[in-house]
Amino acid sequence: MIDVTVAVNGSVRRAAVPPETTLLTLLRDNFQLTGTKLGCDVGDCGACTVIVDGMAVNACLMLAAQTDGRQVLTIEGLATKDKLHPLQKVFEESGALQCGFCGPGMLLSAKALLDENPEPSVYEIRDALAGNLCRCTGYSKIVEAVQDAARMRQTPQAHEAHQLEMHGQDHG
Amino acid sequence: MKPFEYVAARDSQHAVALLAEYGSGAKVLAGGTDLLADLKAAQHSPRVMVDISQAADLKGISLTDDGLRLGALVTHTEIMRSSVIRDYCPALIEAAHTIGAVQTRNLGTIGGNLVTCVPSMDSGPTLLALDAQITVVDLGGQRRMPLSALFVGPRKTSLADGQLLVDIVIPKASVGKPAAFLKFGLRKGQALALVNAAASLWVDGERTTFVAPRIALGAVAPTVIRAPKAEAFLAGLTISPEAMDKAGRIAASEAKPISDFRASADYRRDLIAVLVKRALATAYERSTAQKEHVQ
Repeated sequence: MIDVTVAVNGSVRRAAVPPETTLLTLLRDNFQLTGTKLGCDVGDCGACTVIVDGMAVNACLMLAAQTDGRQVLTIEGLATKDKLHPLQKVFEESGALQCGFCGPGMLLSAKALLDENPEPSVYEIRDALAGNLCRCTGYSKIVEAVQDAARMRQTPQAHEAHQLEMHGQDHG
Repeated sequence: MKPFEYVAARDSQHAVALLAEYGSGAKVLAGGTDLLADLKAAQHSPRVMVDISQAADLKGISLTDDGLRLGALVTHTEIMRSSVIRDYCPALIEAAHTIGAVQTRNLGTIGGNLVTCVPSMDSGPTLLALDAQITVVDLGGQRRMPLSALFVGPRKTSLADGQLLVDIVIPKASVGKPAAFLKFGLRKGQALALVNAAASLWVDGERTTFVAPRIALGAVAPTVIRAPKAEAFLAGLTISPEAMDKAGRIAASEAKPISDFRASADYRRDLIAVLVKRALATAYERSTAQKEHVQ
């Protein structure tokens, strides 16, 4: 067994796991953080995307042992108790998700992008989300939602004006 | 994954000692994006996983007396963000950008990509076109060899048990050499190359003839290969679109592509001719743009 200590969503968590345990299994089975989804389990679908030390990675392709001493952000750490993250708010308002299975990974890839590049172009958004597969939406609303969230982060007022213009009503 | 033992190496020396201790039972883990995906489908795991991902001396990009050094653990994302690489070897950024998606580029390493030795690897052609060297260490010491000597066959390198790839060096003579990389896959994101190609060239003082042209191809032979006949055809020849076109067709005749569910051999040969021509044209444009580097 390997002892692993990881800062998950700001809290220090410990576990003793077999060496072949992936970060994904550690999060879901040891820490009961099941928001991170198990999809393909070979790094193609992005459903297990989490942010490790600021970088979007596939949790299925890291060993838990490799994350010892590092910071991990999962979907459970994105919103605060009473406030959604701007990306979550925009995804919800604009119906960017349908079944939602790709959502946690999609949101974390988008967050990693906006942290690095606050004003991404459509091309940059598509490039950043190329590792997150969605079988429902056709991606357009997701890309638009990330653009909206970027605007909202820049100036919350501009975001509201944009929403009014787009939808003709105040979403509050 | 089937169970294995895990040990993290502090640095390359520690890794080599561990590899010597465990022999053929050991497997090196770097970024893990290929290895762990493969192990999930495998009937057996290696006895011991030697994790080198935290070995600091295997990281970093730097200009040295030998040339441009990339530690084996440099990730594809680090290549894309490196100002040194942007200034001196931008074709490496083009190649890195075509690998997987952000998540895989954040973990996957250039050394790992090379030692997978799959014919369709995207790191190989540009490095071959820039005459890259590699450093390999084992308990007996370290030695430098051409990158081409690493590639033996599909998924087969010349590395013996106990040997570790330490770094990749683009020799001084190729640093700043105009080059380009192109890949054709079935999608823009996360697709394996049907064909990839890289070209590099210098131009003479009059800017009229090809000097030291290099052409390398991926996914069209058992390993990434050079196209020596096409290179010999171009060397010393007057620069023209027709010459680039002819070189592309010669390169296509040098490859041994297979037909599979992704594409036929004939289609791949046609792609080689087009990609080589375009890579040469782009490299030539760059020789104009970065005049100050031209020898």
